[in-house]
Amino acid sequence: MPVSAGYVTREATTNLWRNRLMTIAAVLTVAVSLALVGSALLLKQGATNATAQWQNGVNIRVWVNPNAPAAQYKAIGVQLSQNPLVKSCIPRSQAYDYNEARRTVAADEFNATTQSDYPSSYACVLANPSDATAVSQQFAGKPGIFGTPSSPTAQIRTMQSVIHILQWVFLSVAVVLLLSASVLILNTIRMAIFARRREVSVMKLVGATNWFIRLPFMVEGLIQGLLGSAVAVLVVLSLYWGIGLNTTKTVANQSNLIAQMSMGAWEVAATCILVALVGIVVGVAGSALAVRRFLDV
Amino acid sequence: MITFQNVTKTYKGSTVALRDCSIEIDKGEFVFLVGPSGSGKTTFIRLLLREEMPTSGRIWEAGKEIGHLSKWRVPYLRRNIGCVFQDFRLLPNRTVFENVAFALEVIGRPKHVIASQVPQVLDLVGLTKKSGNLPGELSGGEQQRVAVARAFVNRPLILLADEPTGNLDPTTSLGIMRLLDRINRTGTTVVVATHDAGMVDQMRRRVVELDHGTKVRDQARGVYGLDSAVAAAGAGSPTGTMVETAPAPVPVSRAAARNGGASRTGDGLRRRNAGR
Repeated sequence: MPVSAGYVTREATTNLWRNRLMTIAAVLTVAVSLALVGSALLLKQGATNATAQWQNGVNIRVWVNPNAPAAQYKAIGVQLSQNPLVKSCIPRSQAYDYNEARRTVAADEFNATTQSDYPSSYACVLANPSDATAVSQQFAGKPGIFGTPSSPTAQIRTMQSVIHILQWVFLSVAVVLLLSASVLILNTIRMAIFARRREVSVMKLVGATNWFIRLPFMVEGLIQGLLGSAVAVLVVLSLYWGIGLNTTKTVANQSNLIAQMSMGAWEVAATCILVALVGIVVGVAGSALAVRRFLDV
Repeated sequence: MITFQNVTKTYKGSTVALRDCSIEIDKGEFVFLVGPSGSGKTTFIRLLLREEMPTSGRIWEAGKEIGHLSKWRVPYLRRNIGCVFQDFRLLPNRTVFENVAFALEVIGRPKHVIASQVPQVLDLVGLTKKSGNLPGELSGGEQQRVAVARAFVNRPLILLADEPTGNLDPTTSLGIMRLLDRINRTGTTVVVATHDAGMVDQMRRRVVELDHGTKVRDQARGVYGLDSAVAAAGAGSPTGTMVETAPAPVPVSRAAARNGGASRTGDGLRRRNAGR
């Protein structure tokens, strides 16, 4: 059955205006909770970027000269595995390191290099992470070793643990807020329907289809969800630009935490799209749930 | 048009609203459903609107067995059924015209259909002059006329009325009954649940009496109940029970009912109906 778009928007906006206080409450709750979700996602992404080469508990990376012969590379591996301070070691090829650099090195610097410029390496987990400096000193300058073996700075180590906790706090708060946003939207729609229950009952009586009755309310929820997520997207974007997550990584700002966390535009865009999608789903699902009870019979 | 076959309806708490009820109503009939409160009249109407489902038994309506109707088809069934209630159920913030137009609007009828049908049906119920008024500015009888107009504007096959005159005085009630009679003459099947004895006696149409959910009487050209039947038939036939006893039809003047029938609008509607 044709449902005219004009009818639906007219009904939806009238309802929103009629319950404007509830609408504002619902929109704000959606906005706050989605802003938290977005920020948590953004920080998580930043942390991933900053700690890209320190995953799986890796404490030290021992770099091997790009032109070292295979036998030498193997010998270094044996030395590492026999070292009492080292718990385990994973060999990483040139190709792996090249791909990793794609994520951890600034784009213009990366583009100036080829795979053969990159050292192969060993990613090692130490028996005791605080021995990183000692192991680094043992291997620095040995034959076949490229530069100084690197270990995550204290900054990054702290950040890893802080972000790990923050992420959970943010996400759990956001989930609670999202739930309350859904309930608020549900309640707003329910009030809107309650205000119009006579009309709904007459509509059912004269044979309006359920979709005809449901659609304006769902559009209403959609608008609330969209407004809320628009505010949330603004918050996420201002966080992105505000704390300088758009900084380009260079050799110069290697020790700058924020610069290490920086990310590309598409990563932010993905976060924003996700936030908007969650807002839409919360709005539409909340209102669909609210209408259901009134459509029985 | 309407067939009830051994229909039983039990509500939660084992209240039996209808018990093994079989009724056949043909196309174009005018039927009064009478009985005291709680006798199952409203359940009968609600079953026809498919607001309730029978506990057992089968119901056919407008050629469909409504027990087998899937949920999404129910709105389309209801487009063939007009319904009028004791409490009018008008929308207080819409004008008379808008109230009637609403019934067409929400089933997706185009604007030009609304623009032609609504004035026509308002003319039929005699409310052309009040079409811009709000329901609150009308008398009870006028409000019920609006409700009838809304029920009839889509030219349903069946018109149901649940205590349509329950809130009205006898004179106004008569007007509503005449209106229903007029709609009946366009070929629409009309079922009126009522305990307005005077009205039933005056109209002398088919009467189905329910008592505690059981059909106790089905009488062509009947009257309301035992007392009025006795009064109508004279002292000659005081049968102990009214069950299936049809007293001799009494020549009650039907002029009242006939008066409005031959009007231009009524005939016009009949033609339209046939054309559909």
